[in-house]
Amino acid sequence: MSIQAKPLHSVGVHMKRKEDPRFIQGKGNYVDDLSFPGMLYLSLVRSTYPHAEITNIDISEAMKVPGVKAVITGKDLEAAGLGWLPTFHGFDKQMVLAIGKVLFQYQEVAAVFAETRAAAVDGAEAVQVDYAPLPVVADPFTSKTDKTLLRPDRESKTNHIFHWEVGDKEGTARALAASPKRIKQRLWFQRCHPAPLEPCGCVAYFDTMGRLQFHVTSQAPHVYRTALSLVTGIPEDKIHVISPDLGGGFGNKVPVYPGYVCAIVGALKIGRPVKWIETRTENLTSTGFARDYHMDVEIGATADGTITALHVATTADHGAFDAAADPTKYPAGIFGIVTGSYSFPVAYAEVDAYFTNKAPGGIAYRCSFRVTEASYAIERGMDILADELGMDAVELRKKNFIRTDQFPYPSALGFTYDSGDYHKTLDTALEKIGYSQLLKEQAEKRARGELMGIGLSTFTEVVGAGPSKHFDIIGIKMFDSAEIRIHPTGAGIVRTGTKSQGQGHETTWAQIVAEELGLDPQQIMVEEGDTDTAPYGLGTYASRSTPTAGAAIAMAARRIREKARKIAAHLLEVGETDVEWKDYKFQVKGVPSKTVTMKEVAFAAYTNMAKNEPGLEATFYYDPPNMTYPNGTYIAVVDIDRETGEVKVRRFLAVDDCGTIINPLVVEGQIHGGLTEGFAIAFMQEIQYDAEGNNLNTNFTDYLVPTSLETPHWETDKTVTPSPHHPIGAKGVGESPNVGSPAAFVNAVVDALSPFGVRHIEMPITRSKVWQAIRDAEARKTV
Amino acid sequence: MNLQYNGEEQIPAGVDKVWSFVTDPEKVGRCFPEVVDVAVQDPTHFDAVVQVGVGPVRGKFKLKVELLPDAAKRRLDMKISGGGFGSAVDLTAGADIIEGGAGATTLKWNGQAVARGPIASVGGRVLDAQAQKLIGQAFATVRERLTTGSG
Repeated sequence: MSIQAKPLHSVGVHMKRKEDPRFIQGKGNYVDDLSFPGMLYLSLVRSTYPHAEITNIDISEAMKVPGVKAVITGKDLEAAGLGWLPTFHGFDKQMVLAIGKVLFQYQEVAAVFAETRAAAVDGAEAVQVDYAPLPVVADPFTSKTDKTLLRPDRESKTNHIFHWEVGDKEGTARALAASPKRIKQRLWFQRCHPAPLEPCGCVAYFDTMGRLQFHVTSQAPHVYRTALSLVTGIPEDKIHVISPDLGGGFGNKVPVYPGYVCAIVGALKIGRPVKWIETRTENLTSTGFARDYHMDVEIGATADGTITALHVATTADHGAFDAAADPTKYPAGIFGIVTGSYSFPVAYAEVDAYFTNKAPGGIAYRCSFRVTEASYAIERGMDILADELGMDAVELRKKNFIRTDQFPYPSALGFTYDSGDYHKTLDTALEKIGYSQLLKEQAEKRARGELMGIGLSTFTEVVGAGPSKHFDIIGIKMFDSAEIRIHPTGAGIVRTGTKSQGQGHETTWAQIVAEELGLDPQQIMVEEGDTDTAPYGLGTYASRSTPTAGAAIAMAARRIREKARKIAAHLLEVGETDVEWKDYKFQVKGVPSKTVTMKEVAFAAYTNMAKNEPGLEATFYYDPPNMTYPNGTYIAVVDIDRETGEVKVRRFLAVDDCGTIINPLVVEGQIHGGLTEGFAIAFMQEIQYDAEGNNLNTNFTDYLVPTSLETPHWETDKTVTPSPHHPIGAKGVGESPNVGSPAAFVNAVVDALSPFGVRHIEMPITRSKVWQAIRDAEARKTV
Repeated sequence: MNLQYNGEEQIPAGVDKVWSFVTDPEKVGRCFPEVVDVAVQDPTHFDAVVQVGVGPVRGKFKLKVELLPDAAKRRLDMKISGGGFGSAVDLTAGADIIEGGAGATTLKWNGQAVARGPIASVGGRVLDAQAQKLIGQAFATVRERLTTGSG
């Protein structure tokens, strides 16, 4: 489909977000705001041990706590056939409540239902669980030995979950062996956590019709409905899932968690509504973590810096259950994007995943399924190669970029990149930040012994999962949908299968409808998250909303336009073929004075439709023909205090190319938010476990979230290369800043420390790590 | 979180008196720091409730204690396990009761502890120093009780 050049109307307009007034005024409607008569509260007893047999659970003292109504354990659920929950990845299951043994610290062991939240917590404290500790497997490299088998419940008696590979193994090995220059580096993208400000929670009850009313913090309400039906046996028509306002999600609210199942079981068993809201600690310690990839990156090149081959071998820590929530055919997500923006003639990527005694996850935290890990690997790898070659990192990238004449570009690892102009995006960034001036300044500072670093990341990501021929979750193809109804007055409503968690859908979806139909975006209401009213869709994560539902909205609107054309012809008293859509209204071909607006047509659709079908509405299910490939150039400039190791991010410029921009204000907001998260990952955040399997980052005093004081000032700019296959040319942007920025930060710090011979430093880059790297380097010199 | 400690106390009392004190569950239990309650099950087993406060983590720990005396070697081993408020501790401690001359006894002790849960994570930064202090306090109390005769 060609992209029409047309004057801006709604798409491309800096429109303030329609949803913001209610959030700014504290009038959002979140799950924890809900209250129903007779509602009980659920609190979960969690394991103190990372790996132990449960020798006894005594609930007698808990039942004596005033207000406690019931306690259920894993054995109770197992007897009811609800002991295990299939993970969204589809090849594993996880215990709802521990059966026989616990596999990670803070695992769910028993559920206590009580009249008040406090009584439920007191009841949970009173449940006596006796454990017999078992050996702890705290890292995937120990897990590899299979000395301690963690999952005897599985048919395969090994801790190895899967081996996944893509590309030409032998060809890559040959090319690397023949390359005059080679680099090899172990990079660890540490375990981190999306940590949405609103933790997960739900309210479950069965209404007078016996129908499950399930209010839940879900990024994918329709998938929840189907999954709950499959797990519980409740017919899908008897399940109503409502996902109200969400306080962030970032992939954390995609999986179905044990607390949800317990709340439903409690509501069924006791016959009263049950609310479960997890604490911050529960969120950080038991719900889906992200990353935890140990990546061995190997790149070959000629002496003049032409890349010849890429091999990435990854050891992945998946925790106690394989709950990575990846599309079925992609156990390592879309990690094959690891060739990045570069024209590798041959490449090979492999991932081996292992169980450990840690919380399950590996979810797509503001990332399209392992794309952040891949982007980090290649963007760090290219800088290390530049160092090896003694070449400027910019020149190496320019030399090896996929050129504009190569699009659509078939990558060595099987993707077909849709569009991009990497040289233009990089040049835009270099000019805006004053790269040559910065290099000069850096040389002067180095001469004075000062530490200044410039770091680049010229990433390409792959988003918008995805085409049905490749992508499904528990068998459901990853299309998305939109339903639009235009009312008699020209106002309307659009419903989609996606679910905003702060992305601004209420604004951008209205803008797409308004653009396509020439209507007022302020009078287009957007509704999501209610499975009774919204068309079926796979939800919002992996930057898929605009590539899939955004496309569905445009296509549904065009269906409305086609129907409206018939009514317009009736109003204009001409044949349908004599009517054209021009300048946001219908006009008689060649007679610009004879026009009728969509608003007039809408009124006629209900009052004067002649022989046409009354009403003005349409639904479209969009199965994308390809993924979209947003890209960008990010540049970080840092200064390091050599005495304290403190890193100051002096400047950060993000030049993004996300194709057609629907709302520049929303895009800028997304980039600011994503960069702040990327900054936190690079410098502050890690979910650490000690050797005994203790989670050491269980709250916001230990798992740090940047405030405005720590956050650098963000500079942004753009290039626009529309996607040729998306109806409005949009690519998606929500995740680009989180995907692209960590490498830019680390590259800048390593560049600053390069005079000491430092080639790599692991995230999170704390002051002590930088200080130690400098001291170690000085000690080497002294020796 | 794996912690290891050791130390010694000089007690102005004879070996037999010290031995009889440290193998008495009621007496040794009352020497636990911040002890709230001791319930003796049998001559080598008792339950103790202690008040615990490590950094911001505060609450009561219910501990099961097993005494493993070896009279011939004058050595007492002790296994302590339990927890509370989502935290757990497994502790093994050993003490050699050594004749110190002039009616005095040396109590040479060592201990290993594995802490789990919030006490290890939230309290991790201060746990090591705190545990060292508490264990030291426990044996100091043994010395004090034997010295003053309150034991």
